[in-house]
Amino acid sequence: MTQAWLLGQRALREGLRTPDALLPTLFIPLFFLVVNVGQAAKIFPGDTTAFLHGQGYGAFQLPSSLLLAASFGTAALFLVEEIEGGYFDKLRATPIPRSAIVLGRLIAESVKGLLIATALVVLGLIFGISIASGIAGFVLLVVLTALWAVVFSGFMQLIALKTRSAAATNSGSLVFFPLLFLTPNFVPRDLLTRPMEIAATFNPVTYVMEAMRSLILEDLVWGDILPGFAVVAVAGAAMLALNVRIIERYD
Amino acid sequence: MEDVTTSAEQRPSPNGGSGASPAVQAAGLVKHYTSRNETVEAVRGVDLRVEAGEVFGFLGPNGAGKSTTVKMLTTLLSITSGSATVAGVDVASEPDEVRRRIGVALQEAGLAPRQTGRELLHLQARLFGLSAHEAAERTDQLLALVELENAADRSIKGYSGGMKRRLDLATALVHAPEVLFLDEPTTGLDPASRLTVWDEVRRINERGTTVFLTTQYLEEADQLCDRLAIIDDGRIVRDGTPAGLKADLRERRSLARDPTLDDVFLDATGRTRDRVAGEVQEVSG
Repeated sequence: MTQAWLLGQRALREGLRTPDALLPTLFIPLFFLVVNVGQAAKIFPGDTTAFLHGQGYGAFQLPSSLLLAASFGTAALFLVEEIEGGYFDKLRATPIPRSAIVLGRLIAESVKGLLIATALVVLGLIFGISIASGIAGFVLLVVLTALWAVVFSGFMQLIALKTRSAAATNSGSLVFFPLLFLTPNFVPRDLLTRPMEIAATFNPVTYVMEAMRSLILEDLVWGDILPGFAVVAVAGAAMLALNVRIIERYD
Repeated sequence: MEDVTTSAEQRPSPNGGSGASPAVQAAGLVKHYTSRNETVEAVRGVDLRVEAGEVFGFLGPNGAGKSTTVKMLTTLLSITSGSATVAGVDVASEPDEVRRRIGVALQEAGLAPRQTGRELLHLQARLFGLSAHEAAERTDQLLALVELENAADRSIKGYSGGMKRRLDLATALVHAPEVLFLDEPTTGLDPASRLTVWDEVRRINERGTTVFLTTQYLEEADQLCDRLAIIDDGRIVRDGTPAGLKADLRERRSLARDPTLDDVFLDATGRTRDRVAGEVQEVSG
């Protein structure tokens, strides 16, 4: 774990030294939040829309922006750069566990995820969104966002390790858009059309989004929160196992 | 230049310090790359024996299998068949133990561009198990050794090609390895930087580290290597001391003058000077 943390610190330094790669992570989700609220807030007024629990539509949309921000990690692209530049082989030639090489970047992504989620939620608070589940809910919300960042970065690292190509890795990130839009993104699941509802039910991102939404709009409703954490736990473990497997067989 | 206190010769060998086992030994080493449509035989049965304390040169034209062989010996590529030991340790069955005993500087200077030289060396030392304090000391020693003290806290992105090569060499030395693998360490360097690297290699070897060096520069091999092997098309086609290989060629061909290592290379690989242009380059020291 020491080696993973050392490599995590290195990846964090790398992130801090490339603010141009970090800023869009904050800016684009904010842009989508403003645009989506601008388009649908009049259709769903806070005082008469039951699923908003008395808040504005921005509170309902915030989870989409958090998920989007957490899916913009640059870890996989930096990994491709290291593969192409030879530093990845330098790391592979050290006597550290292969899992540490994978975990280093994921640790850094989790820290970045925590910071970006905190920044987005604080901005939301400034513009009138409140976290109905209180301080504990706030903590759970940013932790869940950070864990999703780890899951998605793990997925992107898999593509990077398999293809060793920046272009393929970049294209792989586009898979998030169908994952994000096959969810109850604009309205709750029970208001979706039947085919869309079925698709959303099979999409694991739905449960992460609903857990986040629950933390923002309601008190701690564990029946909504736990499925979200279960999804990131299972997907995170799967990504870690697959990453370690691919790095051990890397030739 | 500052002396580096820990040397390979001060460390116990894995076999209890007998010193009898070769630094590198390979028997029938084979590497095949299999894709959907074809199988490429990159290395076709390489036998090698490098004694401890030698500077061993591994020569060959582009695509001959030099880097593939080095990557197998340094645990970075799987071995299709055959066996290899480095510092007395089996490469395939104990890769981590091999990694503890070797330093590796590959063809591309493998450096993290957004770190400083000091950060990179410190991290590398920590990954090899040194404490934070030991790593800081070792970093200072190595920065002095490769004369990068003044650039230590600058981003590696801004280093020249020669500085990157020297830093890469330093990262391979953080744990005072028993065997140092250098894969074309002077490719792309200007003559002055090349001479600096040669000096470093000699200095490192004098401290007891075995050096396994691949190069395309025949004069480099002539200047640095105690023994060498020439690989072509995945097979070793000559091996011996530079002087011995030249003498052998002179005798076999009944040459009137002493042949150069270039002549040995051309004879071994069946190439002519016309055909080899662009594959092997001569440099002046």
